Amino acid sequence: MKIKEEKEGLLSRIRILDLADEKASFCSKLLSDLGAYVIKIEKPGGDSSRKIGPFLGNSPHPEKSLFFFHNNTNKLGITLNLENKVGREIFLKLIKRTDIVVETFPPGYLNELDLGFEALSEINPKLILVSVTGFGQCGPRSKYKSCDIVASAFGGQMYVSGSPSTPPLKPFGDQSYYAASLSAAIGILLALRKRVHNGKGEHVDISLQEAVASTLEHVMIQCFYEKIVPKRQGTIHWNNSLCILSCKDGYILISLLQQWETLVEWMDNEGMAEDLKDEKYKEEQYRLRHLDHIIEVLQRWTKTHATQELFEIGQLMRFPWAPVHSPKEVLESPQMKSRGFFIEVDHPEIDTSIKYPGAPYKFDHCSLDRWKRAPLIGEDNIQIYQKELGLSDEELRKLSSINAI
Amino acid sequence: MSQGILNGLRILDFTWVLAGPYVTRILADFGAEVIKIQSKKTSRGAESNLTGYFNTWNRNKRSATLDMSYPEAKEIILKLTKISDVVIENFSPRVISNWGLGYERLKEVKPDLIMLSMSGMGQTGPWKDFVAFGPTIQALSGLTYLTSFTQDSPLGLGYAYADVIAGLYAAFAVLAALGYRDKTGKGQYIDLSEYEAICTLMGPALLDVSVNHKDIFPQGNRSEDIQAAPYGCYPCRGMDRWCVIAVFNEIEWENLCTIMGRPDWAKEERFSDLSRRKENKEDLDKFLEQWTLQYSPEEVVNRLQKAGVSAGVVQNAEDLANDPHLIARDFFVQLEHPVLGKTLSDASPIKFKETSRVEWKAAPLLGEDNRYVYMELLGFTEEELSSYIENGIIS
Repeated sequence: MKIKEEKEGLLSRIRILDLADEKASFCSKLLSDLGAYVIKIEKPGGDSSRKIGPFLGNSPHPEKSLFFFHNNTNKLGITLNLENKVGREIFLKLIKRTDIVVETFPPGYLNELDLGFEALSEINPKLILVSVTGFGQCGPRSKYKSCDIVASAFGGQMYVSGSPSTPPLKPFGDQSYYAASLSAAIGILLALRKRVHNGKGEHVDISLQEAVASTLEHVMIQCFYEKIVPKRQGTIHWNNSLCILSCKDGYILISLLQQWETLVEWMDNEGMAEDLKDEKYKEEQYRLRHLDHIIEVLQRWTKTHATQELFEIGQLMRFPWAPVHSPKEVLESPQMKSRGFFIEVDHPEIDTSIKYPGAPYKFDHCSLDRWKRAPLIGEDNIQIYQKELGLSDEELRKLSSINAI
Repeated sequence: MSQGILNGLRILDFTWVLAGPYVTRILADFGAEVIKIQSKKTSRGAESNLTGYFNTWNRNKRSATLDMSYPEAKEIILKLTKISDVVIENFSPRVISNWGLGYERLKEVKPDLIMLSMSGMGQTGPWKDFVAFGPTIQALSGLTYLTSFTQDSPLGLGYAYADVIAGLYAAFAVLAALGYRDKTGKGQYIDLSEYEAICTLMGPALLDVSVNHKDIFPQGNRSEDIQAAPYGCYPCRGMDRWCVIAVFNEIEWENLCTIMGRPDWAKEERFSDLSRRKENKEDLDKFLEQWTLQYSPEEVVNRLQKAGVSAGVVQNAEDLANDPHLIARDFFVQLEHPVLGKTLSDASPIKFKETSRVEWKAAPLLGEDNRYVYMELLGFTEEELSSYIENGIIS
């Protein structure tokens, strides 16, 4: 619905061709959710990311991938075979009327098809090509294969996640693809601004490894400034300011050092402060040296409470605490409900609507609340090939018969 | 050239710690003039100018001091707003409006102003005043729960990932609003919730729970949704040395077996296809470990990548700092700081064809740009500036 009402969107009039697989389909979703006109181009039969679970009804099927659903909202979908000569000719026609192409092929692949940045620029000098790959377009490792776990490992994320007694731990759920997609989306808007000034296109080069390595907060800082190599610390935050403890009914993340006297008073009111009342604990350095003991005492106390109770009372007292929530609890969050974060999106094929995570921002001039589900395979072939490019029924049939679309 | 893309844009920066400074760093890296409002009183901890942490997140910015508890400070902010394009803040909700500097007020002096407020929970809702650091958000969003080996020992990420993600989202939102302003002449107020930002990155899991009405549990480095086996993290020779391996198809599996010198495994019935390998992953992982333990992760990864198998070294900070690939791609940038000396930080993962960082500079000293901001931009005289300083307003 929203896509037709182009005027509403913050980014309407921006035209994007999305050739990306799972590594960066989230990139153009960020733009399509804000009103950009995004055509997802899949190879005949559908993109490989349709094989990624979880699946609707738990049954693997290319039209039921929830991963695909999430990453392709508000896009149109066509099929096109770039490895076919006629397919490439059609692609170049689309390039003429496009601002941006997002792709995730191995570096050099598009060049081999004569569809590299230089070739595309000749057709459309204003074109912005965004390439998201494991290691970027150049450098000694640029030909290496990558995926989320490889990016997370090489990017430094895994080494500091997990506990000293476990192997390094990859963050849940393709985080490297999301971090890279966010960087790529910023790159697109920057390149569009640059184009306004100089009229020229741009090749934006995003590496999954670098996207991950630039999320590392303190990790490189400690290395560069203090020659410390941060390690895995399990449930204790790197600067010892926070820790996860168990409660009666689950787990809570609590702060260990701040508002110390308030915390001890609270525990003491319940007769559980033990020796933490002692004056010497008022000194932060002393507390840091005796962190293990503090955690033991706190653990005995948190076990007598329910997570929700500690969360609510703690927050009232301005402690940055939170329960360790499961996705189910996120869906039930009163905060999310109040802000209308989840959006019901129609899926006419299955006669129902599905609750999607919305966008994390509210723009006071532009509403973002009317969403369209991800395209079915080739859903918009007729719209794009006939209405936009003016191909006839017969031409379309022919293209289909030679496996171009 | 790329650093100049945002030349001519002025950002008034009320951000602190990480999430907010990360946004304004992106904008400053690409040429926006970011004026960070600081004060002696608040320049502590992560906001202390002479720390590596501050220097990393505040490069390329200017610093002006102003003690916001004075009414005169508010007048000065209104004057600065009038000549700025964007105001960004990441205080708890209400701080800015309690100063009388909410969007409605600022808009009066600058009708096409873009203002971004980012907070843990967003500006509305029953939890809007909740205090949240990055890890708080990670816990609330389900990310900590699912980033664990088992349900009864939640671990999560070892750092404040959520702050960086919120920063990226915020930069994207500001740039989108700037494009809209150029097109329509209209400014915009943007309310960004860090909690929601992380939840968008939990999309497939949230959809799974919502449509399939099931519970999902942490699986460590494994995942039922990934069509690969072997898949995981394996120990290598040396102290705390690890590699990761991901095998997506039969050719890769055969190549792996050949490299391991065990072509017979490729023929074993229990490993004969992806679903069998997934069923027998415990056995498979044990076999693999026996092999990986004999080599350094670099050896394992080089050999596997040459054979077309996805594999990676689990790099620590030192490995990253010396990573020849990152160095070849200029991923780290060295900037001279007047007190800290030569300092290193990650450059920007957003790379353009031609990138030059000639105009880059280290983070400012506290109030380093007071003369520029108050005299050049606002036209204060020398005397006016000294009197504001003496009165403790510019401090």
